[in-house]
Amino acid sequence: MYRYDEFDVEFVRQRVAQFRDQVDRRLAGELTEDEFKPLRLMNGVYLQLHAYMLRIAVPYGTLSSRQMRKLAHIARTYDRGTGHFTTRQNLQFNWPKLSDIPAILDELADVEMHAIQTSGNCIRNVTADHFAGATADEVADPRPYAEIIRQWSSLHPEFSFLPRKFKVAVIGSDRDRAAMQLHDIGLHLKRLADGRLGFAVFVGGGMGRTPFIAKKIRDELPQADLLSYLEAILRVYNLQGRRDNKYKARIKILVHEIGADAFRAQVEAEWLRIREGALKLPEAEIKRIDAYFAPPAFDRRPTRIALRAPDRPFDRWVTRNTHTHKQPGYVIVTISLKPIGGIPGDASADQMDAVADLAEQYSFDEVRVTHEQNLVLPHVRIEDLRAVYDRLKAIGLAEANVGLATDIIACPGLDYCALANARSIPIAQRISDRLSKRQDQIGDLKIKISGCINACGHHHVGHIGILGVEKRGEEHYQLLLGGSGAEDAALALIAGPGFGPDGIVDAVETIVDTYLKLRRSPDEPFLAAYGRLGAAPFKEALYAAA
Amino acid sequence: MSKHASQRCILTANRLTDGTAVFLDFEGAWSESIVEAVVAHSPDEVRALEDRAAYDAAHNLVVEPYLVEIREVAGHLEPIRYRERVRAGGPTILGDVPGYTQPFPSPLAREEREPFIRAA
Repeated sequence: MYRYDEFDVEFVRQRVAQFRDQVDRRLAGELTEDEFKPLRLMNGVYLQLHAYMLRIAVPYGTLSSRQMRKLAHIARTYDRGTGHFTTRQNLQFNWPKLSDIPAILDELADVEMHAIQTSGNCIRNVTADHFAGATADEVADPRPYAEIIRQWSSLHPEFSFLPRKFKVAVIGSDRDRAAMQLHDIGLHLKRLADGRLGFAVFVGGGMGRTPFIAKKIRDELPQADLLSYLEAILRVYNLQGRRDNKYKARIKILVHEIGADAFRAQVEAEWLRIREGALKLPEAEIKRIDAYFAPPAFDRRPTRIALRAPDRPFDRWVTRNTHTHKQPGYVIVTISLKPIGGIPGDASADQMDAVADLAEQYSFDEVRVTHEQNLVLPHVRIEDLRAVYDRLKAIGLAEANVGLATDIIACPGLDYCALANARSIPIAQRISDRLSKRQDQIGDLKIKISGCINACGHHHVGHIGILGVEKRGEEHYQLLLGGSGAEDAALALIAGPGFGPDGIVDAVETIVDTYLKLRRSPDEPFLAAYGRLGAAPFKEALYAAA
Repeated sequence: MSKHASQRCILTANRLTDGTAVFLDFEGAWSESIVEAVVAHSPDEVRALEDRAAYDAAHNLVVEPYLVEIREVAGHLEPIRYRERVRAGGPTILGDVPGYTQPFPSPLAREEREPFIRAA
């Protein structure tokens, strides 16, 4: 597993001390807000609608039990007993006092965590497949490469003031569980033609007000050249990205405006210049990092019990919330943070502690955070599933709904966020309540809700996407259909005129009813049916009566 | 802020120490309750609020002060924008937050909303 080296430990402690001094000077009036704001943002501190918010990095979504317990402790001691897991595999606290934040950062440093580069126009926390290192369908664990990128990009002097924020995702499977093609850079770890490991490189994806699917600019990149190629991409972007207009400053706009071929040519030219330089990754260094992520000591005894049981709720949970592991006798367990009618991504301090206990006892001390705002126990023995399920049930986290209509992504929205125009969470709660009894019948369906055009709730890639806007001072919601953030990445299209807060829940149900009526069989998922039928019958159902 | 000159406005900001949303009250203090907010009815009063905003921000009492336009509804005053109504009332979903330990004084219930400001 990932761990800080001596440099990280010293650097993070120095950074906490530096920020403590900056906070003291701000509270004493020695720094103005204009002077202080960029400093607090560099340490993950936002000023939201009702309070400060602290965003904590969870590198590639991997946590130890010790780290999870620390987050629970911080939630109890400095916040209001709860934390919110985000669509970037991070954790946010919604109520910290500014004066407490240096103490929180000190506590985080005790467990090798921090909030650095969770804001600002820099390379943000690197995300990865949340099943990395466990799933049967990967060619290799992508996290060592995410860690190499983390080390390279942390406080990179050339890339600390980019035209705009910059997000990187890494996957190691043909299945994309990390929305890789919706990132500034997406890396697909795979076998190259010569049989060695390397990457397909995608650039210029993203959501926000101008969504784009990333373009593949290189099909085969040897792993030794990873950092030099990334450096070349960042250099082209840093030089040419627009700094005159923040809405056109992301790399996706640059790639779109000059074209992927021209962008690729510039990157390749720069890469040729630096390829054999200091950024060449030595085989020994890759192996050294790789060793941090060595598979745990799996028990190789044959499994003694059958996976299925006559207990229907448990059987449903096993069906929906487990995934095939590369090691026989084990499965990957997804812990849904989407109780019916609950708040997507929220977990209480007690729940975080209980998940830490489960990870310690049943999953080699590992927890993962997913970009779909759930948690994962990556290595659970099949014969322990019943015990894990019972413990999760006792803390209200045994909902068997992963991938179903109630497994909704929702940003914090207007309930917390200073940028939002409309609430997301209550819409998610009401859709969850409305569809919960039929979710097994509906099957796989991804509903994603954002409270503003910045698209933190990934509405552009929802099978059903919802975008909250403000219309004449009130909340209003646009409905989008047909998106996907997976390997078949596609951008959803607006169905037509929007709806009020009540109408949008009815509209989602109308879409679901239309799908159920028109699908060829229960085996035809929503997205396949939508692809076959097109938008017309869904629009007809939504708007014919109007 | 001249666009507010013809509107009834109140002054809001976030408190420096903890970020809590606060409103300037009729005694010149920053209150957590919008009900106690002082209302500017004329361009001169709007300018007075603007001056106070600049002064208190410069003296590090509050952060990011701004004027909020309000309207009269059924004899009471409330912010025109829904955003400001939520900001004044607190998150509308706190009753559903798992483990939430500190009740937030919220005049904005999930389904039924009370007026925010007494008619001046």
